[in-house]
Amino acid sequence: MRTLKSLDWVLLASLFCFAALGMVTLYAAVYQGDAGLWHKQAIFWGVGLVVFVGLCLMPLRLLGLACWPMYGAALLLLLLVPLIGDVHMGARRWLDMGVMNLQPSEIMKWALMFVLANWFATREARGWVEILVPLLLTVLPAALIMMQPDLGTTLVLLFAATALIIAAGLPWRLLGLAVAAALASLPLLWHFMHDYQKQRVLTLLDPQSDPLGAGYHVIQSTIAIGSGGLLGKGFLHGTQARLHFLPEQHTDFIFSVLAEEGGFIAVALLLFLYGVLIMRILWIAHQAHSRFASLLCIGIAAMFTLYITVNIGMVSGIFPVVGLPLPFISYGGSALVTMLAATGLVMRVAIESKGQIPWQRPGSPLA
Amino acid sequence: MHNSQLEKRRRFDVRMLVFYAAVPLFLGLLMMQVLKLQWFEHDRYALQAEQNRLNIVPLLPVRGEITDVQGRGLAINRIAYSIQLISERVAKMDDTLVTLTTMLHWSDKKLANVRKRIKHARPDRPVLLDDKLSWGQVAPLAARLHLLPGVDVEAGSYREYPYGALASHVVGYLSLARKNDIDAGYFPNEFIGRTGVEKAFEQVLQGKPGYQQEEVDALGRRVAVLKRSPSTMGHTLRLSLDIDVQKAASDALGDRTGAVVVMNVHTGEIIALLSKPGYDTNHFITGLELDQWQAWLNDPEKPLLNRTMQAAYPPGSTFKLVTAFAGLQHGAPLATGSTFCPGFVQLGNRKLRCWKRTGHGKVSLHKALVQSCDVYFYKLGDQLGMKAISNAAEAWGLGEKTGIQLSPESRGTVPSQSPYMMSAIKNNASTRKKWFRGETMITAIGQGTLTVTPLQMARLAAAIANGGKVLRPQLLADAPTQVMHQVVVSRAHLRTIRTAMRGVVADPHGTAHRVLGRAPWAVAGKTGTAQVIEMSQGKKKGRSEDHLQKRLRDHAWFMGYAPYKNPKIAIAVLVEHGGHGGSAAGPVVAAVIRAMAAKDASVGLKQ
Repeated sequence: MRTLKSLDWVLLASLFCFAALGMVTLYAAVYQGDAGLWHKQAIFWGVGLVVFVGLCLMPLRLLGLACWPMYGAALLLLLLVPLIGDVHMGARRWLDMGVMNLQPSEIMKWALMFVLANWFATREARGWVEILVPLLLTVLPAALIMMQPDLGTTLVLLFAATALIIAAGLPWRLLGLAVAAALASLPLLWHFMHDYQKQRVLTLLDPQSDPLGAGYHVIQSTIAIGSGGLLGKGFLHGTQARLHFLPEQHTDFIFSVLAEEGGFIAVALLLFLYGVLIMRILWIAHQAHSRFASLLCIGIAAMFTLYITVNIGMVSGIFPVVGLPLPFISYGGSALVTMLAATGLVMRVAIESKGQIPWQRPGSPLA
Repeated sequence: MHNSQLEKRRRFDVRMLVFYAAVPLFLGLLMMQVLKLQWFEHDRYALQAEQNRLNIVPLLPVRGEITDVQGRGLAINRIAYSIQLISERVAKMDDTLVTLTTMLHWSDKKLANVRKRIKHARPDRPVLLDDKLSWGQVAPLAARLHLLPGVDVEAGSYREYPYGALASHVVGYLSLARKNDIDAGYFPNEFIGRTGVEKAFEQVLQGKPGYQQEEVDALGRRVAVLKRSPSTMGHTLRLSLDIDVQKAASDALGDRTGAVVVMNVHTGEIIALLSKPGYDTNHFITGLELDQWQAWLNDPEKPLLNRTMQAAYPPGSTFKLVTAFAGLQHGAPLATGSTFCPGFVQLGNRKLRCWKRTGHGKVSLHKALVQSCDVYFYKLGDQLGMKAISNAAEAWGLGEKTGIQLSPESRGTVPSQSPYMMSAIKNNASTRKKWFRGETMITAIGQGTLTVTPLQMARLAAAIANGGKVLRPQLLADAPTQVMHQVVVSRAHLRTIRTAMRGVVADPHGTAHRVLGRAPWAVAGKTGTAQVIEMSQGKKKGRSEDHLQKRLRDHAWFMGYAPYKNPKIAIAVLVEHGGHGGSAAGPVVAAVIRAMAAKDASVGLKQ
């Protein structure tokens, strides 16, 4: 009862809005194709909500205890992938676990966030050891994932870690230095990128250079978005979507279906909902009762922000094609369950912090 | 400790403010980009989306048919299936072609031809790969079309020429649009008339293309038809040609090369226009194999040549009619008098021989025409001079295009038109004069530089029969009669010549009496035996024509009209290297007359 009373209703309401908007958009996306996917996604929502409720009930300190073994296991699995992993779509990312295929990089994403939050729960990023240890914890798995290759997850990892370290008090001077170093190492990154990744970057710079090849996806999705206009072509009336001009229109490119049929109105609604979600997570982070909980929420907020930015940026032609799903909208069980789990953790933070004074505020028990 | 903790908290609060500010920045960036696409560039993308989904497909018109005078199809349309390909929609061209080759049993040569066509066509337009296929042939392919994006099976009509080689030169043939045609606006899978009536009446036969606006998916497959504006079929043409007469002439000619023209003497309508050998025009529709085309091109018999109008031959003795008219008109002494034919004429040290070496004895104009005495006409020509002969030839329609709507047409040669002849007329040097005199005498009997087409000779015969009207040959039934010019000739002169022409057939001594004397219609005409190469009469002595190499043998001519009293048709027959005009060309005339007479009751010819 206490738990129910301390639920964060804004977070919950935004989830239901996403469920509605996501299912409607997916219906349009698979309307002319495999309509069975819509029912599957409904089941995934069910599963995801069970996980959500489960995590709402799980005490956060368990995470503090479990995070190091989890990180170790994830790192081990990542090292195993190149040896025994399945090759899927040209990349070696999956481990066959019998009943299900496991993507160790997904586990590492969470493990890293927990470990960093745990590390900085009692420290500030203002000393050599305090900074170098998390840096090592981040770069090691990031390099392994990059080699799979999985640019999307690598970006998520780096972005969330960066947000966490900034939140943990990294001096601005050091951050500036890091950004400068990162920019300087771009040519090196280019050197290590796979040809298809390079092609994607080049295509972004000039989509028309290869209109039937790598540029095709971007050209078709921008046509879909642009032709939607302010009001959209109407539900189930998107020609680009209905006639299969859009690639992977129910997964990574689902935004263009929404934008084509719903127009700018629908896009604005979606971005508003994302804004509400992320700002609410940040607010929960701000009010959290422990530094660990704050940092965890910030990591999750960063993750959401990156997914949304990269996905919409890719579909609308700002960024190269990087395979990241649109949170709550794209079809896909594991992505949806992951997003709901993340929201569950945030909800748990909200529940535990309800009625508590934020950490180290004057008057808080820890202060 | 307390202070440092507070400082930690304060720093965190600042960092939180940064995050609060950063999130709207990220989302705002996305919002701006989408707004740019959906607001500022909306028109452009809306247009692109339309172009994406809409496909304008031309609907080719059904070509008008061509029939003979009785409505029997000479060029007709049949339903069949064709394979088309739009190359920009093909995912794997090589795999697709391999599949098509196996399913349609293409030869290597056909495959190479297909590749060439694909290369030359615009990638967004359909290219015809194969056609005239039965359903049985395309059914296995049709079932697998979903595996072959860009390939389509279309039901359509194709051209068939039921009489094939028999009417090939008149009807003509079609072939696929070539690069320059496509540039001129034809569709790559459209057929265009290349020769004959198919070419001459292309505009009428063509019809008007329609179009169909289709909605297509990303693979170019038709999802729905949005708009349709049907094509209009071309006009069906009824020719004045009678395929029965054409066939009778063809059978009579057998495997000899030659030409037969049958024309209505009053209207100029062409009843038969036969050139042998012909070629099967159906080959062009199936996509003529290069071998066959080369074979036709290199064939010494030149099947592609329309001998009725594209080739000019020396007219031989048939030209004596023109010389005779000139003589009568100019009042040449010999025209009303007579001369003695000893079998030759002495001209300086040259002997010009008559075909009958024993001579014809005393010869008048009538006898000279009936028995085709050369000596008489040598002398008559000598009296007339080259200019009078040439003028008469031109008056009767030689040396000019007949104006038939087939092309290209040869105009033949009348000596006065050739520059070196004209310079000879003006030149007074005695040797030249002497040479020129002999040339004039040879021209008078239809040899020398004079050449005519069989069509011109048929028209000449018609003009004699109809009182001097030189007509434009008409291909279409019921076409208005066009008189190109009227020959100034008196009734009496006409009567004289006509009587002589009748004598050629009716007189027991006439050169065509043996073969045409018993024809169902009374025929009037003139035989001709045209020398192919200059050959002194002495060389020929003692050899029968059969021993001469075929290509050195004379061309056989007959031109005339029938029935004598009430003329209906004019005929010209040429048998290349046929030998003597009467015996070689005569039977062909007889066959035509029989065919005409047999159907005289049913076919009412215009008077």
